[in-house]
Amino acid sequence: MILTVIGLILLAIGAVCDLLGAIGMHRFNTFYLRLHAATVGTVGGKFYPLLGVAFIAAEQGLWPVVGISVLAALLVLVTTPVGSHALAYAASKARIVEIKLDEFRGEEDV
Amino acid sequence: MIETAIYILFAVYGLSGLLYFIRLLRGPTVVDSILAADCVSLDVALIALLLSIYYRNSFLAVGALFLVLWAFILDVFAAKYLTRGEVGT
Repeated sequence: MILTVIGLILLAIGAVCDLLGAIGMHRFNTFYLRLHAATVGTVGGKFYPLLGVAFIAAEQGLWPVVGISVLAALLVLVTTPVGSHALAYAASKARIVEIKLDEFRGEEDV
Repeated sequence: MIETAIYILFAVYGLSGLLYFIRLLRGPTVVDSILAADCVSLDVALIALLLSIYYRNSFLAVGALFLVLWAFILDVFAAKYLTRGEVGT
């Protein structure tokens, strides 16, 4: 019972973070700001709910679901910053989205 | 209790996935679409895990792991292609 309550609390936190991230994807107006919203929606909105799913499945005795959930949560926690940095680097390097106040490319162009 | 909570969670995560999908279709640049596809695939993985709890069936959870890995591979390979012009080497 207590594991189910903990899991539902984690799932509720994740639902709020995911909804805020999804709203932020439409409210922000450049790609780098949207990257912030998507990262909040991914780490806060997917990592905690996956742990919550693991708790609820442990209460019900579904042990394969527990293993997959914990493994997926750790993978999300590790791979989301790597993917976000790769996308930001690609958008800046390939000049798809220009940075307005770029402090790192000044000497290269002069 | 848990069935009612899972219905509400399906609604909220489905709404979030729909908003991400609208951004995937409308994204001004290709990196916006890639980012939204990343979020949509993680959302679908979470909904699949919730379905496996709702039906008490472990076989529904297997696809979630591949969706999580696919989101990471999409990010890294798309960034490599946009930076270098090709994926290999």
